[in-house]
Amino acid sequence: MIITKKRDFKELRENIKNYKSFFLIGCSECATLCGTGGEPELKAMKETLEAEGKIVTGGIVAKTGCQVLGTKTELKKNKDEVDKAECILTMSCGAGAQAAVEIFEDKPVFSANDSMFLGNMTRYRMFDERCSLCGNCILDKTGGICPVTACPKGILNGPCGGCKDGHCEVSPDIKCAWVRIYERMKKLDKLQEFCDVTLEAKDWSASQKPRALTAREEKKK
Amino acid sequence: MSFKDILNSGKFAVTAEAGPPKGTDIKDMLHHMELLKGKVDAVNVTDNQSAVMRICSMAVSKIAMEHGLEPIFQMTCRDRNRIGLQSDLLGANILGIKNVLCMTGDHVSAGDHKGAKPVYDVESVQLLKIVDGLNNGKDMSGNELKGSTDFFQGAVVTPEANPIEPQLIKFEKKIRAGAKFFQTQAIYDIEKFRDFMKHARKFPVKILAGFVVLKSAGMANFLNNNVPGIRVPQALIDELKAAGKEKALDTGMNITARHIKQLKEEKICDGVHIMAIGMEDKVPEIMERAGLL
Repeated sequence: MIITKKRDFKELRENIKNYKSFFLIGCSECATLCGTGGEPELKAMKETLEAEGKIVTGGIVAKTGCQVLGTKTELKKNKDEVDKAECILTMSCGAGAQAAVEIFEDKPVFSANDSMFLGNMTRYRMFDERCSLCGNCILDKTGGICPVTACPKGILNGPCGGCKDGHCEVSPDIKCAWVRIYERMKKLDKLQEFCDVTLEAKDWSASQKPRALTAREEKKK
Repeated sequence: MSFKDILNSGKFAVTAEAGPPKGTDIKDMLHHMELLKGKVDAVNVTDNQSAVMRICSMAVSKIAMEHGLEPIFQMTCRDRNRIGLQSDLLGANILGIKNVLCMTGDHVSAGDHKGAKPVYDVESVQLLKIVDGLNNGKDMSGNELKGSTDFFQGAVVTPEANPIEPQLIKFEKKIRAGAKFFQTQAIYDIEKFRDFMKHARKFPVKILAGFVVLKSAGMANFLNNNVPGIRVPQALIDELKAAGKEKALDTGMNITARHIKQLKEEKICDGVHIMAIGMEDKVPEIMERAGLL
């Protein structure tokens, strides 16, 4: 999921200082799991804004805030509330915020959150990053652990000199990605592969921005 | 004789370090170069060491040549992508730089520009392959070069890494990628290093053992606790302690000299690399005590 973090309210206050009325859009998917855009967070935001003398005309927790057409359809029932608001405050990720930008051509959209990374939830509201969305997966060659993400240097061929007692010099609280890969490949009896294969430099053209994908089959006319 | 010829002839090689300063005042650096001239076989010119921004290693390598020292141009992958690295390699070669040491490089978080974007488009093993390609007239994309390079390329290894197995696997990958010589992380335990050399001797590469002079027992403890891949045995710490504050540095220099002497006499490795770290002026004296001058 996309991990989001609530922005410091001081920053948000500065951004919205010239506006009075707001419509809030959360998201029932990632932002709800992150505690940044579910019902309780929308309610808290409403209270905060009202305490600042602002007006909250209404709000919804969109089913999937990044889905442009679906969110647009969901918002139809809130037309009056939306019309009364000068601007939109999204409480989801950057994709959700920009879905709102597409839906509301004539209203400013502000984001209450910072989008952090694609994350795994390890425990309740604890997240870590395992995939960098590079577009060019090498997991099958690295024991299923991604060094592009798990190693701060993205090294593809073994640990650097900064590995201290199996831990990472850059982030001492995490285990060295290449020690983990080594141990896993050893367990899977694939150590020879680790020894023999030198991974070539990655082809970063697969992550050239902005990325787009059409995954549906075109209907035959 | 060039650094490469010295190693290939079987003569015991000695290298030291020339750290480029931060700023354009190079007086002290030139003074250190003057001290090393005619004594060491080559000097490593560090590349924004510890991710602290300084004069680039290519310019200082060129200055070293002009002052009668053969440079080992250190190149990390932290600050340049594959285009920048290859372009700088071609540039270094036409300036007459022959030795290049390929490293991934300390992370920007260790340095003085912590908000910098770390590049790491390629890493040490891939950089060695790039150098090998340029030596054979091809860039990384396979394009023909008009004139190839003639680098003597090396890499680094940490003989006391923990765990050691993945480090040794990477060592072999570096050799397959074209590394001709290795300079090691600082070593303090000759018997352990001897074990590493038993493994390293299976491969056609030259090994220079790394040395960082111990200034005090406190420094030894600091290295043990903070620097990955460095292990100072308790016996050496006790030796420094017994020497007392005033004699600690002198004792540290003696330890380094004694170890270098042993490596040379027992032909354990092919040379040594003395990283003085702020004590460049002590290098000639250490060499003298080790019987190298």
